[in-house]
Amino acid sequence: MVLSSVVILLVSHSFLVQNRFYATQTIRTSVQDNARAATELMGREVRTAMEGGVVVAAAGTLTIRSPLALSVVCNRDGIGSADVYTEGGESDLDTDEIAGIAHRDPVAGTWTAVNASWSTLNGTSGDPAGECAINGADTLDVAGAFHRIANLNTLFSPVPAEGDVVMLFRETTFAIQTSELDPSTLGIFRAAYGDSLVEFATGVDTTAQFQYRTVGGTYVDVVTGAALAQIDALRLVADARKPAPTGGVDDITFGWSVNVPLRVVR
Amino acid sequence: MNRPMVGRRAQGCAHGERPCSARGGFVLALVVFMLFAISVAGMTGYLVVSSEFELSKHSGQGAEALAVARAGLERFTAEQYGVVDDTVAYALGNGVATVTTRKLFARDSITDMYYIRSEATVDDIFTPGAPARRVVGGYAIHHRRPLAHHAVVMVGADNVEVRGGGEAHGWDYKTVADCPGGGASQITGVITRLSVTESATDDIEGSPEYELWSGGWAEIVDSVGLRWDVLSDPNFAVDYENTLPSFASLPADSFPLIRYTGWVNANFTGRGVLIVDGVFDPGSSFVWDGIVLAKEVDDIIQGDLDGILIAGFEGPNTYSTVDFRTDVNYHSCYVYRANETLAYLELLPNTIFEVN
Repeated sequence: MVLSSVVILLVSHSFLVQNRFYATQTIRTSVQDNARAATELMGREVRTAMEGGVVVAAAGTLTIRSPLALSVVCNRDGIGSADVYTEGGESDLDTDEIAGIAHRDPVAGTWTAVNASWSTLNGTSGDPAGECAINGADTLDVAGAFHRIANLNTLFSPVPAEGDVVMLFRETTFAIQTSELDPSTLGIFRAAYGDSLVEFATGVDTTAQFQYRTVGGTYVDVVTGAALAQIDALRLVADARKPAPTGGVDDITFGWSVNVPLRVVR
Repeated sequence: MNRPMVGRRAQGCAHGERPCSARGGFVLALVVFMLFAISVAGMTGYLVVSSEFELSKHSGQGAEALAVARAGLERFTAEQYGVVDDTVAYALGNGVATVTTRKLFARDSITDMYYIRSEATVDDIFTPGAPARRVVGGYAIHHRRPLAHHAVVMVGADNVEVRGGGEAHGWDYKTVADCPGGGASQITGVITRLSVTESATDDIEGSPEYELWSGGWAEIVDSVGLRWDVLSDPNFAVDYENTLPSFASLPADSFPLIRYTGWVNANFTGRGVLIVDGVFDPGSSFVWDGIVLAKEVDDIIQGDLDGILIAGFEGPNTYSTVDFRTDVNYHSCYVYRANETLAYLELLPNTIFEVN
């Protein structure tokens, strides 16, 4: 009886410890998944930020502009319209995501961006492919990929000329703030231009933040003004935290950060 | 009196007797359960680790595909000369980059705008039907005839003395009826740094006959519109390297890119673009139609050239005075065709983007 009791105790204890171990391990895994998935999603978008595309660079808020499509103005029509080619044409453009248009200075190579919705930019008249073909464009099999952009005279001065490069861009804001799903922790939120913030990661630690590196410098928490254009890398600190499965034990945390160099359209 | 036996053994489980149903199999069940639990834990651990591995592998392949796509774009742009290819595929690293081009705008008679698209795939042998795929695009200017026609002879020496039958005529020997680009405007006869002399008044002709560029070779390099560093780079593949083609087997309108290195005592006949990454020393038998680009020239040069000669791309000519006995006559038709061979793509900065 004594031996049996000892065996049962040992086995029970072993079972409980194992059970707790599995529970802890499961939470630890989910904490890691949470942090990694969040940085993966953010990193994918941040990595595409254009030159001078960091609009807001604070510890808890990041707003970036990234290209949806770049094109050459192959024809000018009137004072404010331009015909351009985009791969796949309008049907391949996520027009809801379009936050504006940028013009590349043909001499300096820098971008000037202005916010405008697709309904403002969308030109529906004319024959863009035909006009561009007259100017030397190869429109064979891709006539539908040429499109007219309107109202450029209200956005740029001077208006992009024939041969200039323009860009349709999206503008995305990321924010680290109190979670709506679990107010005891922080969450990571995302919003497209003009939309409300939507939470896509919960269980973020209070140490989570964005950091920024200007050319040749060190990472800092906030960058403003002219220095925004100097940012060449971002650090996404997405430390995660979850309560332990049993009381009296520290929360399970996972320290995780990802450095994202900005190399697109630059 | 014998007392009856008590306990389990007394109930029929003699020592060493197996199986004994009276024991109930408690430990065995426990061991089986523990084995099951360990198996579940092992499987869970394996799944977690393998999932992590797959995630990191696919993420790595995606990143590699992006790098391959960008590398393909850069390589295509760097290696292009002459007519722009429609489609080129490169095997790079563990992937393949397929580069395609589309002309979008003719900016003027000598420059076009092109859209360059590079699609890269990186295969995973375990999922061959679903490779990692990334696409990047960029814009480039195609300089169709990049060489600027400043003069029929440009030498980065201090003095050029035209004599001994040599001449430099900057007026076009061809007419509009002869070819595209024919009947070109008259250009300068000779450009050098400090002085130009001639034996007879008609040795040098042009508008003007000569110019003195105080900047010497550096001014020449800055003004001609060519990428000498690329053209002279051994890694830049040309049509023929240190050898001549059989011109008879080439189409009459083919003006190939030919590069020689070192001291080149040229006594041959041909056409195209002749690049001399060294000292160009043409003899009396040298006959060429097209363009000659040389790092520098010998102190005495001879032969015949129907086209343009430019020498002095990396420094002042070793021989400060060039005894110029070569006949160089401006034939716009040959220059036009040879100049098309020098056509190249220039990627516009800040225009490479990932196609979504």
